[in-house]
Amino acid sequence: MPQHLKRLVGVFAVFIILFLILHYLLTPSSFGELGHYRAKAIPENELKELHYAGSEQCSKCHEDIRKDKAIGFHAKLKCEVCHGPGLKHALYADQFKAGQLPDSLILYKPGERKDCSVCHQFNAARLKIQFDTINTSMIHQVNSIEHNPFDKKTKVEFKCIECHNPHQP
Amino acid sequence: MEQHLQDLYEVLSKVDGYVYPNEIELNWSILIVLYPYITGLVAGAFILASLERIFKVHILKPTYGIALLTAFSFMLVATMPLISHLGKPFRAYEIMITPHSSSAMAIFGFVYLWYLMVVLLLEIWFDYRRDMIIWAQETTGVKRFLYRVLSLWTTDISPKAVALDNRIGYIVTVIGIPSAFLLHGYVGFIFGSIKANPWWSTVLMPVIFLFSAIVSGIALVMLIYILLTKIRKLKIDMDCLDTIAKYLFYILIIDFVLEGLDQIHRIYEAEESFEVLHKLVFGKLFFTLFFMQGLFGTIVPLVTLGTFQFYKPNEKVRKFIYLAISALILIGVFFMRWNVVIGGQLFSKSFYGYTSFKTGMIGSEGYLMAAVWLIVPFIILSFLLWLLPPWKKKEEAETQVL
Amino acid sequence: MRPVKPKISRRDFFKAGTIIVGGITVASAFTPYDAVLIAAEKPKTGKWYGIGIDINKCIGCGKCASACKQENNVPKAPFYFRSWVEQYTIKNDGTIIVESPNGGIDGFKQSVPTNEIFKSFFVPKMCNHCAKSPCVQVCPVGATFETPEGIVLVDENYCIGCRYCVQACPYGCRYIHPEKGTADKCTLCIHRLVKGLQPACFEICPTEARIFGDLNDPASKVNYFLKNHTCMVIKPHLNTGSKLFYNALSSEVR
Repeated sequence: MPQHLKRLVGVFAVFIILFLILHYLLTPSSFGELGHYRAKAIPENELKELHYAGSEQCSKCHEDIRKDKAIGFHAKLKCEVCHGPGLKHALYADQFKAGQLPDSLILYKPGERKDCSVCHQFNAARLKIQFDTINTSMIHQVNSIEHNPFDKKTKVEFKCIECHNPHQP
Repeated sequence: MEQHLQDLYEVLSKVDGYVYPNEIELNWSILIVLYPYITGLVAGAFILASLERIFKVHILKPTYGIALLTAFSFMLVATMPLISHLGKPFRAYEIMITPHSSSAMAIFGFVYLWYLMVVLLLEIWFDYRRDMIIWAQETTGVKRFLYRVLSLWTTDISPKAVALDNRIGYIVTVIGIPSAFLLHGYVGFIFGSIKANPWWSTVLMPVIFLFSAIVSGIALVMLIYILLTKIRKLKIDMDCLDTIAKYLFYILIIDFVLEGLDQIHRIYEAEESFEVLHKLVFGKLFFTLFFMQGLFGTIVPLVTLGTFQFYKPNEKVRKFIYLAISALILIGVFFMRWNVVIGGQLFSKSFYGYTSFKTGMIGSEGYLMAAVWLIVPFIILSFLLWLLPPWKKKEEAETQVL
Repeated sequence: MRPVKPKISRRDFFKAGTIIVGGITVASAFTPYDAVLIAAEKPKTGKWYGIGIDINKCIGCGKCASACKQENNVPKAPFYFRSWVEQYTIKNDGTIIVESPNGGIDGFKQSVPTNEIFKSFFVPKMCNHCAKSPCVQVCPVGATFETPEGIVLVDENYCIGCRYCVQACPYGCRYIHPEKGTADKCTLCIHRLVKGLQPACFEICPTEARIFGDLNDPASKVNYFLKNHTCMVIKPHLNTGSKLFYNALSSEVR
């Protein structure tokens, strides 16, 4: 083989060997075990932080509210639907005295009109809610302005919870 | 980040109808318009060069070297818009280490490397090796060092070695033609294989991309050739230029027919996506599609070059018109890429609405960044033309006795 | 300049080319190319997760979308959603209006007077965890995949942020995380599943409009749902193998 071709092949051979070495070094360890991906990515996704606790956790301390709720229309509603993610609260709140919870552990207490309107404000798309035989109730729809008008003089809006107990509406 | 969010809120206010919430932000911006444009120029310039070398259209000889070096300069820059656009650019190497065989984009690493190293680099090397050795003997300093390195310190320029160089160069060019088709065809396939997007999903996409790439590459070489002879204050070879224009005309016809066919088919079948696309084409894409790509980029060049087949004005007028036409075509093909990439994201996959395009001047996906990646290849080309001037290649008759 | 005539004539070139191409074509007939190379097959044993959504039960409260964002640290800006709710209003004159203000997180307002409405309903959306997922197919590096249990996940430590998967998803479920620069999407709260909890949106839904479960378990809620309702997937013609089945899906829904 002429000299210049030998040199050229040599350059390419070096390049290919370098590439193969890099390929070996840079391929992640668990790649290809389950498919064309890093198998370690599954446990990495599984170990993410949780924020919602699930209602069973709430009843451990707030059994009285659960009993209250269980006989009303909101029986099947989970606590965190209205109060937001409660895992941190469920895990750490018992370390503090009542009324001395740090801000990060206090859950939102919905009381404004907008909190109830989200489900109960009249919307034509909620007209036909048919439930199966497990739950036979329909969701009550109101036009909140007509049902609970603002005070004409002061324009103060009365909250829904002034008449309705949210745990037992 | 703040600016980005601000831009997004502005886009949100301009949403027309309904788009999926995740579609408000356009995913592929101007840099992804640039990438197919640049690789298209590379493929097209290479095809023009191969016309001379393989298909023996020797009239095109004056542009052979320019075409090759142009292809190489643009190829060196081609990856940059892609890397600038990635969310995690430092992980870009993964495409070479664990390419996913079902993904058209995964081919990128290897096709790019193959085309750059094996096709372009080797062809240029075999073509210039003899000249580099001769030039090394005639120069000093940095240039001499560069020549020595690039010729791998070889010294053999005997007729046998040169004949071998020519033979291998020929084979490389032959392999290079399907490689050029692959280099740009796969980009078309990246778009054409997305069944979720009806503006992109068509069998014709790789073919359309390929032919518009060849058109743009030929136009680019024509433009550079005219400008270069002007800068070097030489007389241009009008036969060469007329031949380039002829090939440009033929390929442009094919490109026009293909793109027309795509649209006619879409209009005729009027599938589920037809209404939303119709409104898109006559709304947000009207100017860029009908004027920039259609009228200025295709119809005007077609009519002009077509007229030249029957009536040729004098040389000075023709040269000027060729310059204007090649510029128009280059702009037109850019807007073709724009209409495909940006256009395909302006409408929602729910077919119920449209979002809008917004990018700034600065920022990693801004207009300035795009301008940089368009200008850098010309800087590289200037350097290469200084280092490896095609017009200084010694005729073999000068260096050997037959 | 090139006085040497190449030894390969044009005829030889075409002959050789045809033989090579023809050979490859014939060879490929013996081993047909599996186009959807990652078509996840429903496993005979083990879990195979599926999802059911009952449009007749969704009241559009948006709590699912809100819970998803809070559970998974999704950026709060209205451009990044793993799950969202759409309100469809079909007017008497046939016009279809679709809305999803902030993904439905703040609830919905009725935008058309009741007397003009022909039909109106809410459609919750989320990742369909497709069995023949186009997003998995197009990932160039293998950063998104389907687990053996049927959940499509993103490997955020490997994703390069090329956005190809976002383009390929026909349902608009993916986005690029603005801070991480990688693709992000619904993970079916796999971090909750491994602890025996339900995904956040299913947990929260006040009307049990969302059901999920093991398609391989004949007694699962999702199989009960499929058996007793007329279920459809969105965009069935794209053959994505979507495992998100809607009850009462109206023809206007995309």
